[in-house]
Amino acid sequence: MRSNVIFDQIRSPIDELSERLQAVWPRISTAKHAAVEKVAELDEALAGETSADTSVVVYGSLAREEFTQGSDLDWTLLVDGQANPQHQKDLLSIREKLASLGKAHGREKTFGKLTFSHPILHMIGGEDDTNANTTRRVLFLLEASPIGKHREAFMRVRKNILHRYLTEDHGLTRKADKGSARWIPLFLLNDMARYWRTMTVDFAYKQWDRGNEGYALRSLKLGVSRKLIYASGLLSCFWCDPLISKEDHRQTSQMEKIYILNQKLNEMFLLTPLERFARFFLTHVESRYLISTAGRFFKTYDDFLGLLEDGDVRSHLESLSSDEMDEDPEFRAARAIRTRFEGAVREIFLGTDSPLHQHTLSRGVF
Amino acid sequence: MNPIGFSTGALALGDFRLALEYLRGKPLTAVELSALRVSELPLLLKAVPSLDLNQFNYIALHAPSSFSATEEPEIVRLLTRFPDDWKIVLHPDAVHDSVQWLPFGHRLALENMDRRKLDGRSVEEMSRCFSLMPEAQFCLDLAHAQQWDTTMTEAYLFLRSFSNRICQIHISQLDSASHHYPLSEGSIRAFSEVAWLIPEDVPFIIESRVSSSEMDGEIAKVRKIASSAARDAYQAIPA
Repeated sequence: MRSNVIFDQIRSPIDELSERLQAVWPRISTAKHAAVEKVAELDEALAGETSADTSVVVYGSLAREEFTQGSDLDWTLLVDGQANPQHQKDLLSIREKLASLGKAHGREKTFGKLTFSHPILHMIGGEDDTNANTTRRVLFLLEASPIGKHREAFMRVRKNILHRYLTEDHGLTRKADKGSARWIPLFLLNDMARYWRTMTVDFAYKQWDRGNEGYALRSLKLGVSRKLIYASGLLSCFWCDPLISKEDHRQTSQMEKIYILNQKLNEMFLLTPLERFARFFLTHVESRYLISTAGRFFKTYDDFLGLLEDGDVRSHLESLSSDEMDEDPEFRAARAIRTRFEGAVREIFLGTDSPLHQHTLSRGVF
Repeated sequence: MNPIGFSTGALALGDFRLALEYLRGKPLTAVELSALRVSELPLLLKAVPSLDLNQFNYIALHAPSSFSATEEPEIVRLLTRFPDDWKIVLHPDAVHDSVQWLPFGHRLALENMDRRKLDGRSVEEMSRCFSLMPEAQFCLDLAHAQQWDTTMTEAYLFLRSFSNRICQIHISQLDSASHHYPLSEGSIRAFSEVAWLIPEDVPFIIESRVSSSEMDGEIAKVRKIASSAARDAYQAIPA
């Protein structure tokens, strides 16, 4: 979360894109301001709670800077340092301070806990990479942000996660027989795709576990905000290709490539998912096709946030049974937003005029 | 091959004369005289005429790492009395009033900090320090950079971003409490990955806390890192 003064002074790529398109997305803007205010409140409450070895990390809508009335406060205390029983006491103190400042974390118990850097970093793949571990790791990249005074433990762990994905992806540094080595990090891309599929499978699991309770709202979130974070991850992987990010790396040596990609991905993941797309659109501002898609993409997302911000609609969707959904006018309207959003995402990645088209076919599908 | 030397503080804390004794006769052409505590600075200044430093082509002085704003003018005044071909290594977080340090110009070498400090740890933070002292040069502490970012991406970015300022390297290994230790094989491998970006005339100053009997072993490790650049043909292959 860019809650400190320096980051807040940097103009968001979304602001720049909205000016370029002469469009306004008021709910995106309101939700961002609400997130910044909430983070400032949390920063104050957490004063003195963390150190160079620990960071409080927030996830979900707060990390995406899309904070609305019904948003949860999902957080963990990340530890990246010597084992110390004091960390549990720190957790309890933080939990107490945050309890009054936001709705408690979700039911799956991934949040509100201590998180240790070692399993996140060392257990990628294999039997020990549990659902919770994969979730924490991928969210660290796509939808997480440190709050409070000390951000460095989080930044360190994020860079190390990326380092693993990059250094173990031998195709990045091995020359192909003909032509140059690839730039798109496939190990990372595949893990993010795995996480996306896990979310979709868990959607069905929750349906089974909870007897369809909350199905309508969950379905909407899966098709819009969950899809957004995965799509922004896919985009970040494609961004590594100099043709997509329009950066000149002709003078780069193999030795430097891993550092450059680490830095490039880090910069992308410092942005919110919506900002990643805004940055991409701004880089390809000459493409009429993409700019027209950009307008639809952001407008639809703005509509989605408007829906979440309306307490009555949100409560209605939360309590709606699956039997009633198809005939319910509010759900039908919400579903139309989801369909429009899915269409815009398809245009960005699969449209034949999109620079991402070929990458999506050759790397994103098979 | 880069010049190699030791920090006197690493060999004999607070006793530069003993450290210089240990260095005599070793195949080393660089040295950093340590005055990390304020009280050491006047003692070192007084001793300079009597020190035999003929063996060294490169001499740096490490300024005190912490002092008050009221002590700062006196520290600056004492530092101006040292030979003007000596570099002055300074922790950026120790500075209260950067204007007082401007007259040192390129003699000043600002050092990147370990993770306990709240400034000077990254390229972004060091850039702000250099904007306050624009003529200052750069002392890259590889151990600090590695502690801040174990992937060595920040070390790479330091070497790329400040290539025109770099004048010396600090080398050692840090434990999690930021104490300097002898280099491990892991650190040798990590430092070797970026060593090819260090210009050949830039001295490596060893900060590992070693006994006199361990000095040769530590020098051999640093030679291995310094020579890794020449051995590694991989660096030249375009991406």
